[in-house]
Amino acid sequence: MKIIVAAKMVTDPNIKVRALSDGSGPDLASVKMAMNPFDEIAVEEAVRLKEAGIATEVVVVSIGPAKATETLRTALAMGADRGLLIRADQPVEPLAVAKLLKAVVAKESPDLVLTGKQAIDDDSNQTGQMLAALLGWGQATFASKVTVADGALQVTREVDGGLQTISVRLPAVVTADLRLKEPRYASLPNIMKAKKKPITEKTPEDYAVNVAPRLTVIRVEEPPARQAGIKVATVQELFQRLHSEAGVL
Amino acid sequence: MIYADDGSLSEEQRLMRESCRSYINDVVTPFIRTNWQREWDMTPGERLSPEILQGAEEIGVRTLGVPEEFGGIDLERETEVRTFALISEEIARGDSGLADKLVQNWKVSILLREFAPKHLQEKWFPKLLEDPQFLLAHCLTEPRGASDRWLPYNVPEASMNTRAVLDGDHWVINGRKQFISNGYDASLYVVYANTNPKVGMLQGTSNFLVPRDTPGFTVTKCNETMGCRFMNNGELVFEDCRIPADHLLVKDAAMGSAGQYFRAGKIIQAAKNLGVGVACFERTADYVQNYVQGGRILIKHQAVAIRLADMATRIEAVRALIERASKAVDEAHPDADILCNMAKVYASEEIMKVATHALELHGGNGAMLEFGIEKLFRDAAIFLHMDATVDVSNMKIIKNMFPKTAGKYAGPEE
Repeated sequence: MKIIVAAKMVTDPNIKVRALSDGSGPDLASVKMAMNPFDEIAVEEAVRLKEAGIATEVVVVSIGPAKATETLRTALAMGADRGLLIRADQPVEPLAVAKLLKAVVAKESPDLVLTGKQAIDDDSNQTGQMLAALLGWGQATFASKVTVADGALQVTREVDGGLQTISVRLPAVVTADLRLKEPRYASLPNIMKAKKKPITEKTPEDYAVNVAPRLTVIRVEEPPARQAGIKVATVQELFQRLHSEAGVL
Repeated sequence: MIYADDGSLSEEQRLMRESCRSYINDVVTPFIRTNWQREWDMTPGERLSPEILQGAEEIGVRTLGVPEEFGGIDLERETEVRTFALISEEIARGDSGLADKLVQNWKVSILLREFAPKHLQEKWFPKLLEDPQFLLAHCLTEPRGASDRWLPYNVPEASMNTRAVLDGDHWVINGRKQFISNGYDASLYVVYANTNPKVGMLQGTSNFLVPRDTPGFTVTKCNETMGCRFMNNGELVFEDCRIPADHLLVKDAAMGSAGQYFRAGKIIQAAKNLGVGVACFERTADYVQNYVQGGRILIKHQAVAIRLADMATRIEAVRALIERASKAVDEAHPDADILCNMAKVYASEEIMKVATHALELHGGNGAMLEFGIEKLFRDAAIFLHMDATVDVSNMKIIKNMFPKTAGKYAGPEE
């Protein structure tokens, strides 16, 4: 079984992102970047399937600027076999990402496409679903457990109110939820080995996909700063304020 | 700032630093913060939980310096020392004792890689790789002194007291080693001993590979230290300890030919020290932006802000010197010896000041064991002495700069 994993480079989840003062977007100059945590989980799942002898090859694809090779290299150090960077210096919207991935699928003919359920920067949660629709493949989103048997996947999905288990025929698109797998550290020896693994670079034009944005961002602003708390003199006053000001009683 | 990357790091250096940082943040720091009492457990083996070294194993930092053919990791040789510096800084940011435990493994692995015969590499590298708790030690210092004694006087009477004499196909070692990092719990030791009493230390010192279970070799005690307490420092005794002749690594010229690897040691030392400084800064920056005094968070009090700025500036200055010195060592620049000693001594004195600020800015909390700031202060203090004292390091700098005057033997006292 051949697996393609789509992995996006996003702002490091541990840092606080600030909005640009003109409200045109987040301030990404000299901000630390990292692999989208949900995509990291997808890479881990793919590598485990390879280690279990189920997958034969894991190809990781990233669409982004030149620096996104670091995201690919991290995936290679985790155990993926080769990387593909589709170079795009401006943000690419989910539909264009799905179209590019469809073109990659046409060339690579994988049995499974794995990716994170959403990227933590724009929280779109669309790419996996759109890709499945464009390919006409089955989809299993928000996966917390994946098992492979007889050319099909049993996928446990985290849905509102509980867990749902579905069966999906291969080929399919699966998006990873938080509890699917705990991603491993890229170990130092594997980082050195990953240096020797191939990364191919392409452009959206190579796949004849138009990545011009269709959406207009009107404004990006930071959430309001938290107000300082107040001290109350008596329990009675506390109840009163909870009732009249906070409106919770 | 504080972690600033000037863009000179390679992709793999950045990825390695990231992996180390995740391991420290996820595994080491939570352990140290919640188990601060274990530093004071008087059973040395009980202090650090085995999971810590197991984690070090998972990211592959226990076996740096082991060649790839033995399952180790081949760093880019032309930037190897810089990489060592980056990694040791990250680990020491979590715990400087743990960093010291690990760097001894790298140091001795490099000596094995460069000087041990193939069959001994084939014997020991797999053992090191198999067992996550396997540690190595490097034994120079003796009870009657170390570089303070032999450095100024390259004459027979200043040489090491530990002697090795060839007897048939074995070397027989007698003597005592003191203040040895990992000495208490290592499995394999590189031991330096005098093999020619007629000449000075530089011409008459050899080094040997000594497995822990060798008859005549005894670990007598764990030295209890003020800081760096998760590394178990030991004292060793050799009584007619017989070592097969092929366990000799470098004959007579060990301080010279093996000594070139001491330079990397100085850089690693400075980098670990820097990691302690960064930890001091992070903890303090967080504290002063949350702790309220006189109705305002501490950082809005100018006296506090000034100290914090001073901490950051010293850290950046130390980092800059380490980068320059590690580049010099990687490039085998003629000034490498001078620069790596400068980095080591400068880091120790500057980070001590950084730790003092951290203690001060934490007020009463700074002195509390469970707060963890006094631990950073103690860990910083150890660096003034570890791997040569401040004064000995300064002497090395001047001897190297002025070999014809300062470097000249003054002769024995009348």
